[in-house]
Amino acid sequence: MESITLTADLEALAKISAFITEAAESCGLDERATWQVQLAVDEAATNIIQHAYDSDAPGDMTLGWRCEGNQFIVTIRDHGRSFDPENVPTPDLQSPLEERQVGGLGIYLITRLMDEVRFDFHPQQGNVLTMTKYIDSGQRNDIVLIPVEGRVDAVTAPQLNRLVHEQISTGARYVLLDLSDVAFLSSSGLRTLLLIRKELMMLGGELRLAAMQPQVHEVFTLTGFTQVFAIHATADEARSAFGQGRA
Amino acid sequence: MEISHRRLNRVDVVTISGRIDAATAAGVKQQIESLFAEGRYRIVLDLVRLEYISSPGLRVLIEARKRAREWKITDLEGGDIRIANLPPKIKEVFDLTGFTNLFELYGDTVEAVGSF
Repeated sequence: MESITLTADLEALAKISAFITEAAESCGLDERATWQVQLAVDEAATNIIQHAYDSDAPGDMTLGWRCEGNQFIVTIRDHGRSFDPENVPTPDLQSPLEERQVGGLGIYLITRLMDEVRFDFHPQQGNVLTMTKYIDSGQRNDIVLIPVEGRVDAVTAPQLNRLVHEQISTGARYVLLDLSDVAFLSSSGLRTLLLIRKELMMLGGELRLAAMQPQVHEVFTLTGFTQVFAIHATADEARSAFGQGRA
Repeated sequence: MEISHRRLNRVDVVTISGRIDAATAAGVKQQIESLFAEGRYRIVLDLVRLEYISSPGLRVLIEARKRAREWKITDLEGGDIRIANLPPKIKEVFDLTGFTNLFELYGDTVEAVGSF
Protein backbone atom coordinates (compact mmCIF):
# COMPACT_ATOMS: atom_id res chain seq x y z
CA MET A 1 0.00 0.00 0.00
CA GLU A 2 1.34 3.42 -0.99
CA SER A 3 -0.09 6.51 0.62
CA ILE A 4 0.15 10.25 1.09
CA THR A 5 -1.10 12.37 3.96
CA LEU A 6 -2.17 15.92 3.28
CA THR A 7 -3.83 18.78 5.07
CA ALA A 8 -7.50 18.64 4.13
CA ASP A 9 -7.75 21.94 2.29
CA LEU A 10 -8.72 22.82 -1.26
CA GLU A 11 -5.11 23.06 -2.37
CA ALA A 12 -4.79 19.31 -1.75
CA LEU A 13 -7.20 18.46 -4.58
CA ALA A 14 -4.77 18.98 -7.46
CA LYS A 15 -2.07 16.94 -5.65
CA ILE A 16 -4.51 14.14 -4.89
CA SER A 17 -5.60 14.06 -8.49
CA ALA A 18 -2.00 13.75 -9.74
CA PHE A 19 -1.17 11.09 -7.14
CA ILE A 20 -4.17 8.88 -7.88
CA THR A 21 -3.87 9.25 -11.65
CA GLU A 22 -0.30 7.95 -11.56
CA ALA A 23 -1.34 5.15 -9.22
CA ALA A 24 -4.26 4.05 -11.40
CA GLU A 25 -2.11 4.02 -14.52
CA SER A 26 0.62 2.00 -12.80
CA CYS A 27 -2.05 -0.50 -11.77
CA GLY A 28 -3.08 -0.98 -15.40
CA LEU A 29 -6.36 0.94 -15.53
CA ASP A 30 -7.18 2.30 -18.96
CA GLU A 31 -7.69 6.00 -19.62
CA ARG A 32 -11.42 5.99 -18.99
CA ALA A 33 -11.24 3.97 -15.75
CA THR A 34 -8.40 6.20 -14.55
CA TRP A 35 -10.53 9.26 -15.13
CA GLN A 36 -13.48 7.65 -13.29
CA VAL A 37 -11.26 6.87 -10.28
CA GLN A 38 -9.86 10.39 -10.39
CA LEU A 39 -13.35 11.89 -10.23
CA ALA A 40 -14.54 9.55 -7.44
CA VAL A 41 -11.47 10.29 -5.31
CA ASP A 42 -11.83 14.02 -5.93
CA GLU A 43 -15.48 13.94 -4.82
CA ALA A 44 -14.56 11.99 -1.67
CA ALA A 45 -11.71 14.37 -0.81
CA THR A 46 -13.97 17.38 -1.44
CA ASN A 47 -16.50 15.97 1.05
CA ILE A 48 -13.80 15.61 3.69
CA ILE A 49 -12.44 19.10 3.07
CA GLN A 50 -15.88 20.71 3.18
CA HIS A 51 -17.65 18.65 5.83
CA ALA A 52 -15.30 16.63 8.05
CA TYR A 53 -13.35 19.53 9.49
CA ASP A 54 -14.04 23.17 10.30
CA SER A 55 -12.56 25.22 7.48
CA ASP A 56 -10.46 27.31 9.89
CA ALA A 57 -8.92 24.21 11.47
CA PRO A 58 -8.44 21.58 8.76
CA GLY A 59 -7.07 18.21 9.88
CA ASP A 60 -5.32 15.53 7.89
CA MET A 61 -6.50 13.09 5.30
CA THR A 62 -4.58 10.04 4.13
CA LEU A 63 -5.02 8.58 0.69
CA GLY A 64 -3.73 5.07 0.02
CA TRP A 65 -3.96 2.60 -2.82
CA ARG A 66 -3.01 -0.94 -3.79
CA CYS A 67 -3.48 -3.33 -6.71
CA GLU A 68 -4.90 -6.70 -5.78
CA GLY A 69 -5.53 -9.18 -8.55
CA ASN A 70 -7.84 -7.40 -10.96
CA GLN A 71 -8.82 -4.74 -8.42
CA PHE A 72 -7.55 -1.23 -7.80
CA ILE A 73 -8.36 -0.37 -4.20
CA VAL A 74 -8.29 3.17 -2.81
CA THR A 75 -8.75 4.13 0.82
CA ILE A 76 -9.24 7.64 2.21
CA ARG A 77 -9.02 8.23 5.96
CA ASP A 78 -9.76 11.30 8.01
CA HIS A 79 -10.17 12.08 11.68
CA GLY A 80 -12.96 14.60 11.34
CA ARG A 81 -16.64 14.35 12.17
CA SER A 82 -17.95 10.83 11.73
CA PHE A 83 -19.57 10.41 8.36
CA ASP A 84 -22.79 8.51 7.88
CA PRO A 85 -23.85 8.08 4.23
CA GLU A 86 -27.44 7.64 5.48
CA ASN A 87 -27.51 11.36 6.25
CA VAL A 88 -26.69 12.38 2.69
CA PRO A 89 -29.74 13.44 0.68
CA THR A 90 -30.77 11.28 -2.27
CA PRO A 91 -29.62 13.12 -5.37
CA ASP A 92 -32.22 14.81 -7.51
CA LEU A 93 -31.54 13.73 -11.09
CA GLN A 94 -34.95 14.46 -12.60
CA SER A 95 -36.51 17.75 -11.54
CA PRO A 96 -36.68 20.64 -13.97
CA LEU A 97 -34.08 23.37 -13.61
CA GLU A 98 -36.07 25.66 -11.35
CA GLU A 99 -36.67 22.92 -8.78
CA ARG A 100 -33.44 20.99 -9.14
CA GLN A 101 -31.59 20.36 -5.88
CA VAL A 102 -27.86 19.79 -6.08
CA GLY A 103 -27.13 18.01 -2.78
CA GLY A 104 -25.82 14.46 -2.64
CA LEU A 105 -24.28 14.47 -6.12
CA GLY A 106 -20.75 13.78 -4.86
CA ILE A 107 -21.60 10.54 -3.05
CA TYR A 108 -23.87 9.52 -5.89
CA LEU A 109 -21.06 9.97 -8.42
CA ILE A 110 -18.68 7.94 -6.24
CA THR A 111 -21.09 5.00 -6.17
CA ARG A 112 -21.67 5.21 -9.92
CA LEU A 113 -18.02 5.52 -10.88
CA MET A 114 -16.58 2.82 -8.61
CA ASP A 115 -17.50 -0.88 -8.48
CA GLU A 116 -17.48 -1.22 -4.68
CA VAL A 117 -17.79 1.53 -2.07
CA ARG A 118 -17.71 1.11 1.72
CA PHE A 119 -17.84 3.69 4.51
CA ASP A 120 -16.52 2.67 7.94
CA PHE A 121 -16.02 4.54 11.15
CA HIS A 122 -13.45 3.37 13.69
CA PRO A 123 -12.98 5.14 17.05
CA GLN A 124 -9.19 5.22 16.48
CA GLN A 125 -8.79 5.34 12.73
CA GLY A 126 -11.64 7.73 12.12
CA ASN A 127 -13.60 7.64 8.86
CA VAL A 128 -12.37 5.11 6.34
CA LEU A 129 -13.75 5.14 2.83
CA THR A 130 -12.75 2.12 0.74
CA MET A 131 -13.41 2.24 -3.00
CA THR A 132 -12.64 -0.49 -5.51
CA LYS A 133 -12.41 -0.35 -9.26
CA TYR A 134 -12.27 -3.59 -11.24
CA ILE A 135 -9.56 -3.69 -13.84
CA ASP A 136 -10.82 -4.75 -17.22
CA SER A 137 -8.11 -7.01 -18.58
CA GLY A 138 -9.59 -6.79 -22.06
CA GLN A 139 -9.62 -10.59 -22.10
CA ARG A 140 -12.48 -12.40 -23.79
CA ASN A 141 -14.68 -14.29 -21.36
CA ASP A 142 -15.97 -16.80 -23.90
CA ILE A 143 -12.77 -18.80 -24.38
CA VAL A 144 -13.20 -22.58 -24.21
CA LEU A 145 -10.13 -24.37 -22.88
CA ILE A 146 -9.81 -28.02 -23.86
CA PRO A 147 -7.01 -30.04 -22.25
CA VAL A 148 -5.66 -32.74 -24.57
CA GLU A 149 -3.84 -35.80 -23.23
CA GLY A 150 -1.63 -38.63 -24.47
CA ARG A 151 -1.14 -39.36 -28.16
CA VAL A 152 -2.88 -37.55 -30.98
CA ASP A 153 -2.68 -39.96 -33.92
CA ALA A 154 -4.88 -41.62 -36.54
CA VAL A 155 -6.73 -43.50 -33.80
CA THR A 156 -7.30 -40.67 -31.34
CA ALA A 157 -7.54 -37.65 -33.65
CA PRO A 158 -11.23 -38.37 -34.47
CA GLN A 159 -11.97 -38.30 -30.73
CA LEU A 160 -10.32 -34.90 -30.44
CA ASN A 161 -12.27 -33.75 -33.47
CA ARG A 162 -15.52 -34.92 -31.87
CA LEU A 163 -14.69 -33.25 -28.58
CA VAL A 164 -14.03 -29.90 -30.23
CA HIS A 165 -17.16 -30.18 -32.38
CA GLU A 166 -19.33 -30.77 -29.35
CA GLN A 167 -18.06 -27.39 -28.11
CA ILE A 168 -18.52 -25.68 -31.47
CA SER A 169 -22.09 -26.99 -31.72
CA THR A 170 -22.90 -25.38 -28.36
CA GLY A 171 -21.54 -22.04 -29.52
CA ALA A 172 -17.81 -22.14 -28.74
CA ARG A 173 -15.85 -19.96 -31.17
CA TYR A 174 -12.66 -19.18 -29.25
CA VAL A 175 -11.02 -22.53 -28.62
CA LEU A 176 -7.79 -23.02 -26.71
CA LEU A 177 -6.16 -26.44 -26.78
CA ASP A 178 -3.82 -27.07 -23.88
CA LEU A 179 -1.30 -29.57 -25.27
CA SER A 180 0.93 -29.80 -22.19
CA ASP A 181 0.05 -33.48 -21.67
CA VAL A 182 0.38 -34.49 -25.30
CA ALA A 183 3.46 -36.65 -25.79
CA PHE A 184 3.05 -37.42 -29.47
CA LEU A 185 1.27 -35.85 -32.41
CA SER A 186 1.13 -37.51 -35.83
CA SER A 187 0.32 -36.10 -39.26
CA SER A 188 -3.29 -37.24 -38.76
CA GLY A 189 -3.33 -35.14 -35.62
CA LEU A 190 -1.98 -32.17 -37.54
CA ARG A 191 -4.61 -32.58 -40.24
CA THR A 192 -7.36 -32.64 -37.62
CA LEU A 193 -6.03 -29.46 -36.05
CA LEU A 194 -5.92 -27.79 -39.47
CA LEU A 195 -9.55 -28.68 -40.12
CA ILE A 196 -10.63 -27.41 -36.71
CA ARG A 197 -8.70 -24.19 -37.27
CA LYS A 198 -10.29 -23.66 -40.67
CA GLU A 199 -13.77 -24.31 -39.37
CA LEU A 200 -13.39 -21.92 -36.45
CA MET A 201 -12.01 -19.23 -38.76
CA MET A 202 -15.02 -19.57 -41.05
CA LEU A 203 -17.27 -19.13 -38.02
CA GLY A 204 -15.40 -15.96 -37.06
CA GLY A 205 -13.60 -17.70 -34.20
CA GLU A 206 -10.02 -18.62 -33.38
CA LEU A 207 -8.03 -21.72 -32.52
CA ARG A 208 -4.97 -21.31 -30.34
CA LEU A 209 -2.54 -23.97 -29.16
CA ALA A 210 -0.65 -23.73 -25.90
CA ALA A 211 2.09 -25.41 -23.88
CA MET A 212 3.47 -27.91 -26.39
CA GLN A 213 6.18 -30.31 -25.31
CA PRO A 214 9.41 -29.90 -27.35
CA GLN A 215 8.97 -33.09 -29.39
CA VAL A 216 5.45 -32.02 -30.39
CA HIS A 217 6.62 -28.52 -31.22
CA GLU A 218 9.23 -30.07 -33.49
CA VAL A 219 6.49 -31.63 -35.61
CA PHE A 220 5.12 -28.15 -36.24
CA THR A 221 8.58 -26.75 -36.99
CA LEU A 222 9.45 -29.54 -39.44
CA THR A 223 6.20 -29.21 -41.35
CA GLY A 224 6.28 -25.40 -41.38
CA PHE A 225 2.99 -25.26 -39.47
CA THR A 226 4.42 -22.93 -36.84
CA GLN A 227 3.58 -20.26 -39.42
CA VAL A 228 0.01 -21.46 -39.72
CA PHE A 229 -1.10 -22.02 -36.14
CA ALA A 230 -1.20 -19.54 -33.27
CA ILE A 231 1.15 -21.26 -30.83
CA HIS A 232 1.69 -19.99 -27.30
CA ALA A 233 4.10 -20.98 -24.56
CA THR A 234 1.40 -21.00 -21.89
CA ALA A 235 -2.39 -21.16 -21.72
CA ASP A 236 -2.44 -17.77 -20.00
CA GLU A 237 -0.52 -16.18 -22.83
CA ALA A 238 -2.95 -17.75 -25.30
CA ARG A 239 -5.95 -16.47 -23.36
CA SER A 240 -4.84 -12.88 -23.52
CA ALA A 241 -4.10 -13.21 -27.25
CA PHE A 242 -7.68 -14.09 -28.23
CA GLY A 243 -9.37 -11.26 -30.06
CA GLN A 244 -6.03 -9.52 -30.64
CA GLY A 245 -5.55 -10.81 -34.19
CA ARG A 246 -2.92 -13.10 -35.77
CA ALA A 247 -4.68 -16.37 -34.96
CA MET B 1 -8.27 26.41 -14.44
CA GLU B 2 -8.24 29.35 -16.82
CA ILE B 3 -11.13 31.60 -17.81
CA SER B 4 -11.21 33.92 -20.78
CA HIS B 5 -14.04 36.19 -21.79
CA ARG B 6 -15.16 37.70 -25.08
CA ARG B 7 -17.88 40.32 -25.32
CA LEU B 8 -20.12 40.25 -28.37
CA ASN B 9 -22.99 42.56 -29.08
CA ARG B 10 -25.74 40.73 -27.26
CA VAL B 11 -23.93 37.75 -25.82
CA ASP B 12 -20.85 37.10 -23.68
CA VAL B 13 -18.70 34.06 -24.42
CA VAL B 14 -16.84 32.62 -21.46
CA THR B 15 -14.22 29.97 -22.20
CA ILE B 16 -13.25 27.76 -19.28
CA SER B 17 -10.16 25.52 -19.60
CA GLY B 18 -8.65 22.95 -17.27
CA ARG B 19 -10.31 21.73 -14.09
CA ILE B 20 -13.46 22.91 -12.35
CA ASP B 21 -13.30 21.33 -8.90
CA ALA B 22 -14.05 22.52 -5.37
CA ALA B 23 -10.92 24.69 -5.45
CA THR B 24 -11.67 26.47 -8.72
CA ALA B 25 -15.49 26.51 -8.87
CA ALA B 26 -15.56 29.80 -6.96
CA GLY B 27 -13.59 31.44 -9.78
CA VAL B 28 -16.19 30.38 -12.34
CA LYS B 29 -18.96 31.65 -10.11
CA GLN B 30 -17.21 34.98 -9.69
CA GLN B 31 -16.73 35.45 -13.44
CA ILE B 32 -20.39 34.73 -14.19
CA GLU B 33 -21.64 36.93 -11.34
CA SER B 34 -19.52 39.83 -12.52
CA LEU B 35 -21.35 39.59 -15.87
CA PHE B 36 -24.71 39.54 -14.10
CA ALA B 37 -23.62 42.62 -12.16
CA GLU B 38 -23.11 44.43 -15.48
CA GLY B 39 -26.57 43.42 -16.60
CA ARG B 40 -25.24 40.77 -18.98
CA TYR B 41 -27.40 37.66 -18.71
CA ARG B 42 -26.93 36.04 -22.12
CA ILE B 43 -23.90 33.84 -21.73
CA VAL B 44 -22.34 31.06 -23.79
CA LEU B 45 -19.94 28.79 -21.96
CA ASP B 46 -17.35 27.41 -24.36
CA LEU B 47 -16.09 24.24 -22.68
CA VAL B 48 -13.93 22.94 -25.53
CA ARG B 49 -10.81 22.85 -23.35
CA LEU B 50 -12.49 21.78 -20.12
CA GLU B 51 -10.74 18.66 -18.88
CA TYR B 52 -12.56 17.98 -15.66
CA ILE B 53 -15.61 18.87 -13.62
CA SER B 54 -16.75 17.62 -10.22
CA SER B 55 -19.95 18.28 -8.30
CA PRO B 56 -19.04 21.75 -6.93
CA GLY B 57 -18.61 22.86 -10.55
CA LEU B 58 -21.97 21.37 -11.52
CA ARG B 59 -23.54 23.25 -8.64
CA VAL B 60 -22.15 26.57 -9.89
CA LEU B 61 -23.44 25.91 -13.42
CA ILE B 62 -26.96 25.07 -12.32
CA GLU B 63 -27.24 28.02 -9.96
CA ALA B 64 -25.90 30.37 -12.61
CA ARG B 65 -28.43 29.17 -15.17
CA LYS B 66 -31.29 29.59 -12.70
CA ARG B 67 -30.17 33.18 -12.04
CA ALA B 68 -29.71 34.02 -15.73
CA ARG B 69 -33.18 32.79 -16.65
CA GLU B 70 -34.80 34.97 -14.03
CA TRP B 71 -33.86 37.97 -16.18
CA LYS B 72 -36.52 38.51 -18.83
CA ILE B 73 -37.11 41.07 -21.58
CA THR B 74 -40.35 39.53 -22.74
CA ASP B 75 -41.97 36.20 -22.00
CA LEU B 76 -40.02 34.69 -24.88
CA GLU B 77 -36.76 36.54 -24.63
CA GLY B 78 -34.35 36.82 -21.76
CA GLY B 79 -31.24 35.59 -20.09
CA ASP B 80 -29.77 32.11 -20.29
CA ILE B 81 -26.58 30.17 -20.01
CA ARG B 82 -25.97 27.88 -22.96
CA ILE B 83 -23.12 25.46 -23.46
CA ALA B 84 -20.95 24.92 -26.54
CA ASN B 85 -18.39 22.20 -27.28
CA LEU B 86 -19.05 19.90 -24.34
CA PRO B 87 -16.17 17.35 -24.39
CA PRO B 88 -17.14 13.64 -24.24
CA LYS B 89 -15.79 13.05 -20.71
CA ILE B 90 -17.66 16.05 -19.35
CA LYS B 91 -20.76 14.93 -21.25
CA GLU B 92 -20.49 11.64 -19.36
CA VAL B 93 -20.59 13.49 -16.02
CA PHE B 94 -23.61 15.44 -17.30
CA ASP B 95 -25.30 12.19 -18.30
CA LEU B 96 -24.59 10.49 -14.95
CA THR B 97 -25.96 13.38 -12.94
CA GLY B 98 -29.00 14.14 -15.09
CA PHE B 99 -27.52 17.46 -16.22
CA THR B 100 -27.83 16.78 -19.95
CA ASN B 101 -31.50 17.76 -19.91
CA LEU B 102 -30.87 20.85 -17.80
CA PHE B 103 -28.80 22.70 -20.39
CA GLU B 104 -29.08 23.53 -24.05
CA LEU B 105 -26.00 22.05 -25.67
CA TYR B 106 -24.56 23.31 -28.95
CA GLY B 107 -21.93 21.88 -31.27
CA ASP B 108 -19.96 25.13 -31.51
CA THR B 109 -19.93 28.67 -30.18
CA VAL B 110 -21.31 30.22 -33.37
CA GLU B 111 -24.38 28.06 -33.11
CA ALA B 112 -24.72 28.74 -29.39
CA VAL B 113 -24.38 32.51 -29.82
CA GLY B 114 -26.83 32.44 -32.73
CA SER B 115 -29.41 30.65 -30.60
CA PHE B 116 -30.00 33.83 -28.56
